[in-house]
Amino acid sequence: MGVNVLLDILGSIVIGGILLLSMGRVHESSTEDLYKGSGNLVAQTNLATIVQILETDFRKIGYCADWQQIPTPTEAILYADSSSIRYLTDVDSDGVVDTMYYYIDYLTDIPETPNPRDRFMYRVVNSEAPVGVNLGVTQFKMNFFDALGTELTFPIADPREIYTMQIDITVEDVAAYNQEYQTVFWRQIRMAARNLFNR
Amino acid sequence: MGKMTLYLVVGFSLLYMIMGNNSNRMSNETVQNMADYNANTVAHNLAVSAANLACNEMFLDNYWTKGIDKTNFLNGEIEANVVILDAVKNIRKLISKGTYAGVTKTVEVIFQPSKFSKFAYFSVSEGGNIWWTGNDTVWGPFHTQDYMRVYRHPVFYGKATTKKKLIYYTSKYKDAPRFFGGFEQGVDLPLPTNGLDPMKTSALTDGLYFSGHDSVYITFVEDSLKFRFSYSDKDSTVHLPTVAPGGVIFAENSIMRLKGTVKGQYSVACSGTGGKGNIFLDDDIVYTTDPLKNKNSTDLLGIVAKNKVLITDNAPNWNDINIHASIYAEDGGFGAQNYATRPVSGNINLVGGIIQHTRQAVGTFGYSGIKSGFAKRYRYDERLMLISPPMFPGTGGLEIVSWYE
Repeated sequence: MGVNVLLDILGSIVIGGILLLSMGRVHESSTEDLYKGSGNLVAQTNLATIVQILETDFRKIGYCADWQQIPTPTEAILYADSSSIRYLTDVDSDGVVDTMYYYIDYLTDIPETPNPRDRFMYRVVNSEAPVGVNLGVTQFKMNFFDALGTELTFPIADPREIYTMQIDITVEDVAAYNQEYQTVFWRQIRMAARNLFNR
Repeated sequence: MGKMTLYLVVGFSLLYMIMGNNSNRMSNETVQNMADYNANTVAHNLAVSAANLACNEMFLDNYWTKGIDKTNFLNGEIEANVVILDAVKNIRKLISKGTYAGVTKTVEVIFQPSKFSKFAYFSVSEGGNIWWTGNDTVWGPFHTQDYMRVYRHPVFYGKATTKKKLIYYTSKYKDAPRFFGGFEQGVDLPLPTNGLDPMKTSALTDGLYFSGHDSVYITFVEDSLKFRFSYSDKDSTVHLPTVAPGGVIFAENSIMRLKGTVKGQYSVACSGTGGKGNIFLDDDIVYTTDPLKNKNSTDLLGIVAKNKVLITDNAPNWNDINIHASIYAEDGGFGAQNYATRPVSGNINLVGGIIQHTRQAVGTFGYSGIKSGFAKRYRYDERLMLISPPMFPGTGGLEIVSWYE
């Protein structure tokens, strides 16, 4: 075994090591991308789900299949603040007036998920027991405006003054690679509901 | 060594191909997720657009049933159909659909004929330079064809509309009204010129019809009616459900004098020109069951005058007057007789609404308070959002009572 052979072996080890380290780095990077992509997909899917449920429900503020059951639709919003709203609606279009209550519990962390910011969001119909849904919501914020476009300050003394509303929702993935959470955001400015000002 | 290298290269290549495939799939799914949301949103917007197009047709023609055939619209399809739910009451349902990228959304709108009786306050003319002030609160729907002049934040609890614009006394900051039922400008809703004609027809058919008398004195005594044609005459009494099952009592080219307690649902109307076509309220005209105390009250009255509805300047009305009715004055307004010279007369306690051509005065006031006539205590009868007195003049249009999307 000559010196040349030893040099060949050492060279191979060095080159092989560099190659292995590169492959490891590439692998780690791919894994990170995979996690981030996956987290992004989950967050976007959750956001789309929340938004579609919310839009469907909010479009029915003040609606009842038997419209005479809500004779004064302007009174359909019972309570509203920056993170909760309670209103009259007809959830299953059976002509019976229901109460819908949306809110987010900012005070309680969800211990099952690593994300420190996600919170339970609640959709409560009538007097049923609240069941929290964790879709990674970190922000559920509403601002309200009167008929002349002036923003209403909280607490809103009389929800009948609400004419338009702005809804902000932020969703993150509940677990993330290296705690780098994917964030998606949705905002809508809308008439509070078509039925409020029909008559 | 050569084989090992080959295995290594092929192995890593496979691994990265799988990871790349996963990454591509996730990217596609992320885009697809938002594309699905977009398709749902666009389909919904198309359905709403179709509903708005059809609503416009229905507002132009109450009896429009043609609908919109399936049409390409903004890269999607729309269609709309009208279904008559109640032919007698002319209640209609519009069903519109929007389709985009395979997603179909539906909007359903229910219409009913709109009656002026739903208004808490309606005027064509605000009678000059009259301002709604911070002391004024209007419960129920409000409309004026005139400018809406506001001073120091008046309050409107029902939907408020005006044909002309909102005018602030000083600035929006100091005077902006508080609207609790929404607000729209540019809404044109004129009073008809023949709103009493259908009432006359109804009275001739199945109501009580008076003609050829200069005056008709009417006193409601629950479900009976006393009437005479001069102050000194003796009253005749009729049972209203028997003689006027349609609920309309009509005096042709006359002056009507009204008071009493109403049980049931009736409209009194008085036509005429010149000094005729006026209805004088000689004393309280109230329901047997006050709707403010009992929401299940079924008593309802429409007071419909071609000209004016006036509170008579007489002793019974010098210490408050109680009125339960929706009042309609087609060419004139609702006011107090001799408002500037009559004594201080207490309050007008009105439960109902006022629909008038021109706003009238009910008293005068100075720095020390009321100098003559009445103070106003008007409350809206919320049942008027759902029901109206028999044959009460309609706006000639339809109104949306329910919107489902």
